[in-house]
Amino acid sequence: MQVDPSYVTNIVGYLDQAQANQQQLTAELSSGVSITSLSQNPVASGENVLLLNQIQKDDSFTQSTNLVTGQLQVADSTLGSVVSQLTQAISLATEANNGTENASDVKSISNQISGILDEVQSLANTSYQGQYIFSGGQTSTTPFATSSASSPAVTTYNGDADINYLVTPTGQKIQLNVPGSQIFLGAGANSVFGALNALVADYSSGTVDTAQAVSDTEALSTSLNYVSQQRVTIDNSINQVTSAGDAVTSAQTQLTTAQTNLMQADVGTISTQLSLSETQQTALEDVIAQMESSSNDLFSKLQ
Amino acid sequence: MGTISTAFSIMTQALDADQAALNVVANNVANANTPGYTTETATFQQNPPIEAGGVSNGDGVTETGATSARDRVLSERLNQQQQVASSTGAELTALNTLQALFTPDSGSSSATAGDISSDLTGFFSSFSSLEANPTDNSLREEVLSSASTLAADVSNAAASLNAQSSALDQEASGVTSQVNSLTGALAQLNVQIQSTSPGADAGTLEDQRQQDLSQLSQLIGINQITTENNGISVTTTSGQTLVSEGQSNQLTTGAVNGATHFFVGGADITTQLASGGGELGGYLTARDQDIPGVLASLDQLAYSVATQVNTLNNTGTDLDGDNGNAGNIFSAPAQVAGSAAAMSVVMVDPNHIAAAGAGLGTGDNSNATAMAALASQAIVNGDTPTNYFANFVSVLGSTVSNVQTENTAATASVTQLQTQSNALSSVNLNDQASAMSTLERSYQAASQVFTMLNTLMASTLNLGEQSTVS
Repeated sequence: MQVDPSYVTNIVGYLDQAQANQQQLTAELSSGVSITSLSQNPVASGENVLLLNQIQKDDSFTQSTNLVTGQLQVADSTLGSVVSQLTQAISLATEANNGTENASDVKSISNQISGILDEVQSLANTSYQGQYIFSGGQTSTTPFATSSASSPAVTTYNGDADINYLVTPTGQKIQLNVPGSQIFLGAGANSVFGALNALVADYSSGTVDTAQAVSDTEALSTSLNYVSQQRVTIDNSINQVTSAGDAVTSAQTQLTTAQTNLMQADVGTISTQLSLSETQQTALEDVIAQMESSSNDLFSKLQ
Repeated sequence: MGTISTAFSIMTQALDADQAALNVVANNVANANTPGYTTETATFQQNPPIEAGGVSNGDGVTETGATSARDRVLSERLNQQQQVASSTGAELTALNTLQALFTPDSGSSSATAGDISSDLTGFFSSFSSLEANPTDNSLREEVLSSASTLAADVSNAAASLNAQSSALDQEASGVTSQVNSLTGALAQLNVQIQSTSPGADAGTLEDQRQQDLSQLSQLIGINQITTENNGISVTTTSGQTLVSEGQSNQLTTGAVNGATHFFVGGADITTQLASGGGELGGYLTARDQDIPGVLASLDQLAYSVATQVNTLNNTGTDLDGDNGNAGNIFSAPAQVAGSAAAMSVVMVDPNHIAAAGAGLGTGDNSNATAMAALASQAIVNGDTPTNYFANFVSVLGSTVSNVQTENTAATASVTQLQTQSNALSSVNLNDQASAMSTLERSYQAASQVFTMLNTLMASTLNLGEQSTVS
């Protein structure tokens, strides 16, 4: 039988392989990552890119929800204040309309409603982080201004009807703003400023045209309801943002688990492999040592 | 009729033959560790018998020379496998360096430096954040900073790929001189072998020739053809003659389009060499196929992202109110090729990010939404940027893995053939010890016979009386 006389070289080759294997396993153990190069698992590497992308997107969305929630809450509380101001204005108007007030009282009510008008306008011009929240897309333009040149005075809207949306990672669009024109200058009886300006004019002379004043008061009530309806949109958005944020956080947890399972080194398996590899190395070293220490060719036997 | 003198003569020849055979053993043992040495066996031949008076008498033995234990078919098979192993080995080394540029992110930190996939998501997510507050300066700065990170990582990766390509180019041209010196040596050996042993194995000279062929096989892919009078011709695997008996053709290099190309006799054989095998084949495959493939993917990604983002930015309205002319965020690539290396951010003022839609107020976010939506649109070769990159990563990983598998198989095959070849051709010290022992015994026996013949001759000369002849 012919044998390869240099088979020790092959054993040294196996020894090198065992050591390289141990090096790889040790690297996996110390880094905690089972896939340290693309070729180790190309499919998992591709999958990892997609999972990390989704996790990162979710992370970014969570930050965005914090930003928009602040803005939406400011809008909501502002509209809350508007509602209470309007409620107060309606009770003042009702008082003026019941015919028991003298001219001076009526004038005083006119002034009070005028004050409420200013307050509501100031609320409508609320800004958040330097940007007007009720001016549609024209966030750097003061949305409402009132001109007293005519009677009743006229409040004009300088914003636009633009609506911003926040798109969630799942593609859902959440409305972020309601344009001021839609809230405060609705058509017909829905116009808050229209009703307030009319009432101020109605009571300014001290004499009340009851029919007109009652009609304007009713318009103010209608517009109050209308504002409340618009507020619902904002409240809905807050709820949507919160639930989208919760959904994203929960998805992120699942994705992170999946990503960890995909990439994380299984310490038990790797330790076992390392131990096996070490045993193999010791055995190979013993074989080489044995071969080198024993005089294992015939020449040593020749006398 | 046999005489004592004839017996003397026969024994002398036997002693000579044994000595010659011991020389062969000594030479084998001396060359046990010489690379390329093929073990030799002494050949004994019976001398023709002498017919005298109708009786045939044996006439002893002659040692006719050493025969190398050689299997040329096995050697050629080994060389062929060596070409595949060297080629895949060189390509694998290059690919391992290449894939290190795209090490999988462990996910332990959200953004690792140099991670293009994370940069891509970060960039598009910065537009998602801008949706929440389109006029916010810090969010706008974030868009530009994430764009810079993306551009820097893409262009750095491209620069590394180009540098690697240059390094491979140099290594490939370095192989040329080694090939030429080996083909020159082979031509000279052909001449020597043809003149000294045209009809038989040339022993040591043949060992050298086989050794040169083996070294040449590690460098480039070759075919060998045996010619008249024990010469050989060597061609590249695509058929260009490198050695024709006593003539060798130089492999020359020249720059074509900035890359080193290889010529034999004026013909450009770079492409054939790439698929031919050997280290040169591996270097050229990595330089001309693997790296350009990866670079092309990065170029496509860079081109599509930069072009689409720039286009959208120029359709919206920026914070300064510029409508439809907000300017480019990335430097506009003229063509796909080279886009990755040239990727950079040209926008300086974050106010020029057109977050608002065309003709809308600066507080609008519809264009930021549109730019964020690019992340989920099929803008890169019919794929979303992230899917495209994930696919690219998988394909690259598979390529490396395939070459690794090929290399492992080829190396195993080389080891197996080498073992076979070693078993046949290497000096086995046990065999040599055994041969020496046998020859020693044979020599001793011949000496004894010689001594006895001497005694016999003395008795004959003294005619049975004790005398001075002893």
